[in-house]
Amino acid sequence: MGSSSAGKKHKKDKKHRHRSRSLERRSGVEEDEVQILDRHHRHKKHKEHRHKHHRHREREGGESGSGGRASEVISLEESDSDSSDCVEVPIEHAKTRVREREAPPPPTIRERVRDRERDRETEVSAPPPPQISKHLDYERRRERESDRERESRKRMMREKERPRERSRSQSPPPPSTSRRRDAAPPPPTISSSSSRSYSPIPDNGAGDVLSIEETNKLRAKLGLKPLEVDSGPTKSSAASSHGESHAKSSGEKDLSSYKDEWGEFLHKPADNIKEKKQAEKLRDKLNLRKEKRFLEERLARIKTLGESDEETDNTSKWVDRNKRVVNEREEAKRKAKELEELDEAFGVAEMVEEEKQKARQRAYGDNSLKGLRVDHDMDDFGEGRTVILTLKDQDVLNEEDGDTLVNVNMLDDERYKKNVANKKQNPLSYGYDVYEEQYDELGNPIERSILEKYDDDIDGKPKKRKNFVIGENVEEQRDQRRKLLEIKTKLAGKRLETLQDTNLQLASDTYSTAELATFKKPKKKIKKLRQKLKAEDLEQLAEPSTSGSSNFGSRHGRYRDADDIEMKDEEQETKSTQIKLELDDDDDLERVLSKARRLKQKENIIKKSLPIDVAAIERDIKPEPVQEVNSATSGIILSGTDNNIVLNATAEFCRTLGDIPTYGMAGNRNEDSNDMMDFDNNEQQMDEHMDGHGDEASVSGHGHGTWNSVNPDEVMQPADFDNLGDDLEDRAILDEEPDVGAGVANALRLALSKGYLEKEEKNRPSNTKMAHLQAKNYSIEDKAAGEEEKVGRRDRFHSGPIMDFKDKETFKPNVKLDYIDDNGRILNLKEAFRYLSHKFHGKGPGKNKIEKRLKKMEQDGLMKTMSSTDTPLGTLTMLQQKQKETKTAYVVLSGSNKTTSGVGGAPIAKFK
Amino acid sequence: MIEITCNDRLGKKVRVKCNPDDTIGDLKKLIAAQTGTKHEKIVLKKWYTIYKDPIRLSDYEIHDGMNLELYYQ
Repeated sequence: MGSSSAGKKHKKDKKHRHRSRSLERRSGVEEDEVQILDRHHRHKKHKEHRHKHHRHREREGGESGSGGRASEVISLEESDSDSSDCVEVPIEHAKTRVREREAPPPPTIRERVRDRERDRETEVSAPPPPQISKHLDYERRRERESDRERESRKRMMREKERPRERSRSQSPPPPSTSRRRDAAPPPPTISSSSSRSYSPIPDNGAGDVLSIEETNKLRAKLGLKPLEVDSGPTKSSAASSHGESHAKSSGEKDLSSYKDEWGEFLHKPADNIKEKKQAEKLRDKLNLRKEKRFLEERLARIKTLGESDEETDNTSKWVDRNKRVVNEREEAKRKAKELEELDEAFGVAEMVEEEKQKARQRAYGDNSLKGLRVDHDMDDFGEGRTVILTLKDQDVLNEEDGDTLVNVNMLDDERYKKNVANKKQNPLSYGYDVYEEQYDELGNPIERSILEKYDDDIDGKPKKRKNFVIGENVEEQRDQRRKLLEIKTKLAGKRLETLQDTNLQLASDTYSTAELATFKKPKKKIKKLRQKLKAEDLEQLAEPSTSGSSNFGSRHGRYRDADDIEMKDEEQETKSTQIKLELDDDDDLERVLSKARRLKQKENIIKKSLPIDVAAIERDIKPEPVQEVNSATSGIILSGTDNNIVLNATAEFCRTLGDIPTYGMAGNRNEDSNDMMDFDNNEQQMDEHMDGHGDEASVSGHGHGTWNSVNPDEVMQPADFDNLGDDLEDRAILDEEPDVGAGVANALRLALSKGYLEKEEKNRPSNTKMAHLQAKNYSIEDKAAGEEEKVGRRDRFHSGPIMDFKDKETFKPNVKLDYIDDNGRILNLKEAFRYLSHKFHGKGPGKNKIEKRLKKMEQDGLMKTMSSTDTPLGTLTMLQQKQKETKTAYVVLSGSNKTTSGVGGAPIAKFK
Repeated sequence: MIEITCNDRLGKKVRVKCNPDDTIGDLKKLIAAQTGTKHEKIVLKKWYTIYKDPIRLSDYEIHDGMNLELYYQ
C-alpha cells in the first residue's frame, strides 16, 4: 500500500464497518453460523493475545463476511497457504488488491458478479481453516469494501437512518453462550438504553462496558453481592414522585414511599434541616416557659415588704411578744441560780474545784519535759526563738534510748551542712588529705581516721551528735562554753609571748656549746658508728668530759661535719683530762678512738707548727707515741702535758691560707668527712705507712694537708722524731720553695706548686682517655645555649612578647642563597624566579622558549670564552701569523673580483 | 451502583459497574474479568495514590464516573 489512496480507503473502511454491522442485523440467520465459526477460530488460536477491539472487528468482519460470503471464503482459502502471524498476501490476492487500487470506486456490475462467482467456487472447494485475526481482518475489510461497492445505492439511504440503527446494533450477543467468553468477555455495550442514559461517562469515551445483568452474573461468580441498581430508579422515582411529594408537602412519608415500583427499598430522604430547626426552637420555647412558671410559683410564696404582717402591724401584739421574750430570759437566770445554790448546799462545788486543779496539774508542763534529750547543739537554739521539737522516729522496741526531740528543719540543715562539707573535700583525694592537719577551735590537732567521711555510712550510726538534756545544768554548760568562746576570740590572731625568757645576748660569730649541742648533725655518720660502737661505751667516754671547752666551732662550719664522738674526744684531748682506757677486746672502738686521737694530734701539730719551736714540738709530740703505745699495750693511765691551745691570729690565718688550696681539708671539704674516719679505706694505706716506717715520701704522696695516720702499734724510734720534725717542716702551710737548682724534680715540683704545670688529676677521668665517650657534636656552649633557650622560653611565657629576642653574640652566619639550574648554571634573580615559578605551577616553558633560551645561553658561553683581543673568528691571529710568515708588516690584499672591496678585503677572505 | 472507568493508557479502557461498598480487590476482580488480565497483577492508582485491596471504594471516596489509572505489576 503506502499511497494516499490507501489512507482514504481506511477511512472509508471504518464507515463501512458500521454499515456492515447494521447490515448483519438484517441477515439474522447467517449470524449464528458465523459466530460459531468465529469461535472455532479463536479456540484454535488461543495462545495469541488479542485486544478486544480487534476481536470485535474480527467478529464484525466475520459477520459482514457472512453478509458477503464470497469474500470470507477467499480469506479462508488464503489461510491455507499461510498460517503464520505475518500479513502476507498471496499473489492472487495481491493482484486483486492492485486491481482494486487501480479500480475506481464505481465498479462495473460485471466485475462484481465475476468476483462473487469466483468466491463461491473457492468456498465449495475448501473448508474454513483457522485464521489469524489480523489476516482475517484485513481480508474482511477488503471484502467489505467490495460489498460497499456492490450496494452503493442502498447505502446512501441507510446512512440516513444510521443513528437510530446504531443504538440498536449495540445490543450484545447473548452472554450465556459460553464460559470462556465470560473470562474474556466479548459482550459489547449495554443493551438497555435506560441504564446508559444516566451513566456519567460519555459513550464515546467509554471502553468496554458490561451490562448490569452481566456484571451481576460476574459478581455472582466472584462471590459478590449483586449491584445495587436502585440508584437509577430512585432518581427516576424521585423525579416522578416529585409531584406527589409536593402534593403531600407535609413531609410525612410512609414507608411505602421508600420503595420503588419494583418493591425495592429506596434511600431514606435526607432530613429537612429547616423543620428540625423549627422543632428545636419550639422545644426551647416550651422549656423556657416551664422554668418561668416554676420560678414564679416560688416567688409567689415569699412575702414581700409591702405585704402586711399582722403581728408587727398590731402594736399590742408586738408588745406582748417582747414581754414574752424578756420573761423567758429572766426565768432561765433564776433557774441557774437555784441550781448553784443546790450544789453549794451539797458541797459539790468544792469537788469540782479540786477536779479542775487536778486536771491542771495533770496537764503536760515544763517539768514533765525534764530528762528528755534534744538532739541538737544547744547553740543552735538562739535566745528568744521558738523552735518546735518533735519526737524523733525510733524503733518501737528500742526503749533504752528513750525519747529524743528533734526539729525536722534543723535536721535538714545539718544534713545540708554535712553534704556541703563532703563536697568541699577534693573528690580526687577521696576526701582525705594525709598532709593536712586539722585543729579544733582550741588549737589541738584533731585525730582523724582514714576516710572518716564514710564512717557514718559504714557504721550505720551517725557520729556522736551534740545533744543536751532538758533540765540539766544548761546554764552552767552555757557559761562554760561562753567562757571558752571568749578566750578563743581573745586569742584569735594573737601570739603569746612571755617577757621573762628573753635574755638579751650578744650576737657572736661562733656557736656556743649549748648551740653546738643542739646543732643538728647529719645522722648517717652516727649510724655508721653505731654499728661498731655501743651506747654504753660512749656514755662511759662521755662521762668524764666536761663542758666549757675552749674549742668553738667556727660558723664557717669547719666542725659541722664532725661527729659527736669526735667532739667529745677532742675535748678530752685538748683538756688532756685523764682518760681511762681499758684494754678492750673491742678492736673497732679502739681503732676509732685511736684514729680520732691521731686526727686531733695532727691538728694540734699544725696549729702550733708555725712558730717552729722544736722543743715545744718535742714536748707536744713526744708523749703521744708513748701514750699510744701505752694505751695500746698496757692501758696505763696517762696524763696530758698541756691543757691549752694557743690560737694565734696569724697562725690561724696562715693555716687557712695553706688549707684552702688543698682539697679535702676539714673546713673546705665537700665530701663527707667520713673518708677521714673511714677506717677500712685508710687501713691499707696505713699498713703501707707502717711498712715504710712512715717516711716523708709516703706522707707527701698522701697529699698535703690531709690527715695522716700514725700507726699506734708501732713504736716510734728516736730517729723518727727527727723525721717527724722534718715532716712538720715539710708540712708547713706555706711550703718552702723547692730548690730549683737542685734538680729537675725540684724544678718540676716548683712549677707544679706555682701552677706553671698542671698536675693531671687522677680522680677525674682524663680527657684523653675518655675522649671517645664525649659527645662529638655537643659543646658546653651548646648546653649553655640550651639552658638559655629554656630560660628564654620560660620568660617568653611569663613576660609575653615584650622581651627582645636575644641573638647569639658570636653567631654571624654567612648566608649566600644561590639558585642553580639543572645544568649547574647559577641563575640570576630573574631566571631563578622563572625556575621557581615553573616548578610551582608545574608547567614548563614552551618548546620555542626553551630553544631560544638555550641559544642564548650558548651565545653567552661563546661571549665569555671569546678573547677580548681578537674577533670571534680569530682573524687577528691569522693576520699576525701571516705577517710572521711573510715577515712583512703588511699584508697584500689581492685577487678580489669585486671592485667594491677595499685593499685589505680579499686576502682576509682568502684566509677564510 | 456506580460506574468507574479504568484506563491504562496503552489501549485498555474499561467501564466497570460496581457497588460503592465493594472493596478495591473486588473492583480489581471485575476489571480482570473484563480485561482478561489477572486481578493480582492489577494496580489501581489515582495520581500517586495506590489503592489498597481491602479498602472500600466509598472509603476512598470513589464516586460514580471516576477515572482510575490502571497499571500492571
